[in-house]
Amino acid sequence: MKNKRFAIVLDTRRCIDCKACTVACKAENNVPLGRDNHRNWVTEEPLRGSYPNLGQSFTPGQCMQCGNTPCERVCPTRATGVNQDGIVTVEEKKCIGCKYCMTACPYNARYYNEEIEAVDKCTFCAHRVYSGRLPACVETCPTKVRVFGDLNDPQSEVSKLLAKNPHRVLKPEMGTKPYLFYLI
Amino acid sequence: MTTLALPKRPGEILWFGLLGAGMLAGAVAVAMVLVKGHAHVYNVTREIPWGILISTYVFFVVSSTGLCLVSSLGDVWGFEKFEIIGRRGHLLAILTLVTGFGTMAMELNHPIRMGIYAIISPNFTSAIWWMGALYGLYLVLLICEFTFLMLGNRRLAFISGLLGFFAAITAHSNLGAVFGLLEARHYWYGSFMPIYFILSALVSGGALTALIVYFNHKARGRELSPKYAEFMLTMGKLQALFLGILMFFVVWKIIPGLYGQPPEKYEATMALINGPLAVNFWFFEVLIGMLIPFLILVNPKTRTVFGVMFAGMMTTIGIFFMRYDLVIAGQLVPMREDSARGAHGLLSYFPSLAEIAIVIGAIAVCLFLYTLAEKIFDLEGGHRH
Ligand code: SF4
Ligand code: SF4
Repeated sequence: MKNKRFAIVLDTRRCIDCKACTVACKAENNVPLGRDNHRNWVTEEPLRGSYPNLGQSFTPGQCMQCGNTPCERVCPTRATGVNQDGIVTVEEKKCIGCKYCMTACPYNARYYNEEIEAVDKCTFCAHRVYSGRLPACVETCPTKVRVFGDLNDPQSEVSKLLAKNPHRVLKPEMGTKPYLFYLI
Repeated sequence: MTTLALPKRPGEILWFGLLGAGMLAGAVAVAMVLVKGHAHVYNVTREIPWGILISTYVFFVVSSTGLCLVSSLGDVWGFEKFEIIGRRGHLLAILTLVTGFGTMAMELNHPIRMGIYAIISPNFTSAIWWMGALYGLYLVLLICEFTFLMLGNRRLAFISGLLGFFAAITAHSNLGAVFGLLEARHYWYGSFMPIYFILSALVSGGALTALIVYFNHKARGRELSPKYAEFMLTMGKLQALFLGILMFFVVWKIIPGLYGQPPEKYEATMALINGPLAVNFWFFEVLIGMLIPFLILVNPKTRTVFGVMFAGMMTTIGIFFMRYDLVIAGQLVPMREDSARGAHGLLSYFPSLAEIAIVIGAIAVCLFLYTLAEKIFDLEGGHRH
């Protein structure tokens, strides 16, 4: 069977900054409380326009499951790896907590989880995905900002969305080849 | 001249008292970390994961490399004047390296795991993996060289010294690469770091060498013999040269950071020039660390034995701040728009009391071990032809 290439396509115009994704993720993945601890987030872009005609956009983000992974490259013990379907993983027992990956990631997607004593980050909810469910953030989002799927399957919703719509990735200049795509 | 133990002096009791207090402070902080965990006692954050413990580690290993390079001038490269510091220089190089490792272990969350998985699951693309391997090799060679110097075996000391010299350069430039290979951090990224690390190591090594020669005589109430006095003056001249080159490097680190305002690199450079690190940079790095020592050392009137020591002391303090500024500046620019920012649109970090206590403890441990070693080993012998 052919490997998958998981990705998330986001339509940020639908995002209402409710942060349900962050909460759902915390609950699903036992993310400890504390300002530093989160696997995903919603960036509030600066206000546009002048009163009363104001606008604001929100950009949800998480580990981009990069195709070219600086975090994996720098990890001295290969605690950080990439699985056959493109999900970037951290093997807890191998992580020495050097935090090199945290300095290497241009998206600040990683944090040190004191409870599991290892670096932690979004895994596309691999445990759910491999039992046929959707990542918690995707399932929860009330306005359906996020679509999750396999880019190696041309019939998947993500492939179709990307084929139909112009899109961008964050910090393309970093050459990390992220697999979170934002429709424009 | 003899190295027999001298009667206890009041200064010595005070010295050990100070070191004891420093080590106690460090021990309390270490206990706090072990009980409460890093997150509760350190001020490092998700955005600034490397704090003062990493910069202190860098400071110590830079010192080690520098001491090794400068001491090798005698035993390896045949500059006879430098032979008198061979034993002391290499001994302190071992101790600073080991203390550095200790400081690093306090920042790592799993130093023991590191030992295991670095061996059974190595990642050769990781500069940190190479750092461990190369510094490990360097430590072994340092110990060999010190042993051969103590045994008076010049041939083996030369061979291990030569290998140690290259290991020092490789390991230390690789430490620069730990920073220089991070594409995400524009302030660090590039080939500048590995080269700069070697050069600043020479400055550190020169400064510390002057300090140990001076204080080993002062602390024992002995006059500096003409040979040592002459060595100090030569060291002073050499150090002026090293400092001159270092200033040249610093200028060329700053200019590309400002010219054309390159994104992120510019903000980090401005943090030093006119931002949260400005006092550290202008006062400690530039004035205390480079300019004043340089002026003392280029002027033949002030390039006295005391002057060379004093310049060395100032430079050592300056270099400590230089390491701190380097490690922190590279992380001040947020990677994400919504990160908690302080003034200047930059992130902020200030070491916690526990972090500072560990740094003080590490310095005290290193000096304590060195003082003990001075009592145990005959560091003078072998070079009195
Ligand atoms: S977003 Fe960061 S943590 Fe995730 S794969 Fe890319 S570099 Fe690694
Ligand atoms: S903190 Fe853990 S996962 Fe990250 S680079 Fe170090 S060992 Fe690898």
